[in-house]
Amino acid sequence: MTVITGETLARLLRVVRRECRRFVSRPLYLFCMVIAPLFSYLLFATMMGSGLPTDLPVGVVDQDGTSTTRMVVRNLDAFQQTKIVAHYPDFAAARKAMQRGDIYGFFYIPKGTTTEAMGAEQPRVSFYTNNSYLIAGSLLFRDMKTMGELASGAVARETLYAKGYTEAQAMAALQPIVIDTHPLNNPWLNYSVYLCNTLLPGVLMLLIFMVTVYSIAVEVKDGTANELLATSGDSIYVALVGKLLPQTLVFFLMAIFYNVYLYGYLHFPCNSGIGPMILASLLFVIASQAMGIFMVEVFPTLRLSLSFASLWGVISFSISGFTFPVMAMHPVLQALSNCFPLRHYFLIYVDQALNGYPMVYSWQSYVGLLLFLFLPFLVLPRLKHALKTYIYIP
Amino acid sequence: MKSKKMTFRGKVTQGISDMFLVWRRELRKVFHDQGVLIFFILVPLAYPLIYAFIYNNEVVREVPAVVVDDSGSALSRQFARMVDGTADVRIVARCADMEEARQVLREGEAYGIFYFPDDFTDRINRGEQSQVSIFCDMSGLLYYKAMLLSATEVSLELNADIKVARAGNTTAEQDAVTAMPIEYEEVALFNPQNGFATFLIPAVLMLVIQQTLLLGIGLSVGTDRERNRFNDLVPISRHYNGTLRLVMGKAFAYFLVYAVVCVYVLCVVPWLFSLPRLADPATLFAFLLPYVMACIFFSMTLSVFVRNRETCMLMFVFTSVPLLFLSGISWPADAMPGFWRGFSWLFPSTFGIKGYVAINTMGATLDEVSVEYMALWLQTGIYFILACVVYRWEILNSRRHAIDDYHRLRNTAS
Repeated sequence: MTVITGETLARLLRVVRRECRRFVSRPLYLFCMVIAPLFSYLLFATMMGSGLPTDLPVGVVDQDGTSTTRMVVRNLDAFQQTKIVAHYPDFAAARKAMQRGDIYGFFYIPKGTTTEAMGAEQPRVSFYTNNSYLIAGSLLFRDMKTMGELASGAVARETLYAKGYTEAQAMAALQPIVIDTHPLNNPWLNYSVYLCNTLLPGVLMLLIFMVTVYSIAVEVKDGTANELLATSGDSIYVALVGKLLPQTLVFFLMAIFYNVYLYGYLHFPCNSGIGPMILASLLFVIASQAMGIFMVEVFPTLRLSLSFASLWGVISFSISGFTFPVMAMHPVLQALSNCFPLRHYFLIYVDQALNGYPMVYSWQSYVGLLLFLFLPFLVLPRLKHALKTYIYIP
Repeated sequence: MKSKKMTFRGKVTQGISDMFLVWRRELRKVFHDQGVLIFFILVPLAYPLIYAFIYNNEVVREVPAVVVDDSGSALSRQFARMVDGTADVRIVARCADMEEARQVLREGEAYGIFYFPDDFTDRINRGEQSQVSIFCDMSGLLYYKAMLLSATEVSLELNADIKVARAGNTTAEQDAVTAMPIEYEEVALFNPQNGFATFLIPAVLMLVIQQTLLLGIGLSVGTDRERNRFNDLVPISRHYNGTLRLVMGKAFAYFLVYAVVCVYVLCVVPWLFSLPRLADPATLFAFLLPYVMACIFFSMTLSVFVRNRETCMLMFVFTSVPLLFLSGISWPADAMPGFWRGFSWLFPSTFGIKGYVAINTMGATLDEVSVEYMALWLQTGIYFILACVVYRWEILNSRRHAIDDYHRLRNTAS
């Protein structure tokens, strides 16, 4: 390694200047580095703006039609998450409405429910949810379960009150053990908190992969690779650093933007303070760029390296485990998940911003992100060779 | 001069034979271009397999949790043992106090705490209501769900036992009624095991079709432009002169490829991974026809913005994630702000996913998905017209460039 001299710095500056000129000359860069991330941030955050879906449409099939069952139905409507939009004459009609997507679930009260309950014959009331829409289905499941317990208890409670029980005694008799849940640090079960904290960086990472790969490999395509190396004094280090430094700056700004947007503006939980998240974002941006360089090194052909970037970028969303936990995946995938920067970023976010643990508890993830920085050095000579000799093949 | 006097019939015959020529050339181009082949064949072949592999387990089992038992009674021990016995949760440790338990959570060894207060059993013996507290790490909602399900299941069972013991009934039937005057059941009508793959993969499969068409057609258009002297999309040729023959010839070529791709992606893949396949073949076929056509014309319209061969990837790949969410499969469409709902109607994938999920996962017929079905035909019509408009414009462009070039050459010559 040569010592950094004034000459090297001057060359570096020349490459940086050359790169900035290239940015401005193509609207594509502006689109991928600024417009696309900003658009995605806004889309995700505002789409899930309410945090929890409210007033999900549900239906009722009340074949009994007594005052008791009507009361049960009214109670169901009072729940925040559900809104009864229609009554259906029978099961088949409600099922069709569910297939049409008019409702996400329905309450089925068969004929004779009230009389059977009074006669201690234990009638059965059913709630049907549509779990093809997993989130809507799960939310309804929760409401309907509570409702079911209340409905079941309503009849018995009346009897107990008549026997002179107080409300507390009646509840104790009906439900000796209750479950009291404490969802730590996201007590509202806010879906936006749960998804946006990883979706936003994920989209940024995907675009970092693409832009890094494109900006390097396009030099081969345009036949300007030798010009780049000439500007950098035939040093691949100067060429790459000069090329990627302006991008690092822009992408880091975009990363700071989502941090400020999520934690400053939307007030998502950030129990560690913003500092660790900014640090994690910086590491994340650089790790993603390093991963991008590695992709070009492996496939110096523009088309193939972009395909690699797309594949890795899109798979990141699934394999980082923020929706479907990594622990439930195949062991091979569990090991593979470490090769995705988003996985480490997600783990850091959970420990720091969400749970507010000290940084030392997530040291593995920080080291994981740092390790990506060594990746480009493994096959760097190959890239130089490619830049010098490759001819663009469509 | 002769061609201007061509009869209507002659024009139609000419148009049709040109259309088949365009079709043949486009097909040859598709199969001779490795880049296009990656999008049209390799990605639809491999992506669904990767996704199915990732979500293969469908549900999370045995989420690790710890117990803090201040009560230390037989009942609390029984509760913890029963929780451990459920499929959803595994008790990995018993901690002396909450601080120790929180430390286990911090170290990432467990995702939740079951806490029994010291008066847990005493309250029940006194006839008061007693409670179990669950503290859950919220890094994944599925952990929370697993713990809640498991605790609810156990508490219902124990509650029933306690009530029966108190009531001192004589028959089993009386026991049942005491425990629960009205029996209630929750039925997940579709996707009964609450599987993640069953929920997400059908949507991904439909999206793959639209996105690969978008990328493949974009790539092909970018190549045409790069090979063209004036960066134009349409070559100067007598056969490429009519808008209709050009748009329809190309669309027909893509349609042929995607007829095969669709069978694989939407029929073979669900079969390979035993995902729900409630679709009636005729319904599915009828629904896919407008979907594929809408996707093709949609992609052809957007493809005019692609200037270079590879830029389509930078422009279109990242849209997959927002489009998946806009379809309403994850965050319910009914809870989306109106603006984004309207925006989502621009994309065939929104209706395609909703309709396919209804047909494939819920066994709906065309009657139930009529809204989506009509919307897709409407999109087919609109995007067909738009594709014709942009192609017409491109034809005029290349003609103008050719004429300008001709004049320039003549001027230089004289």
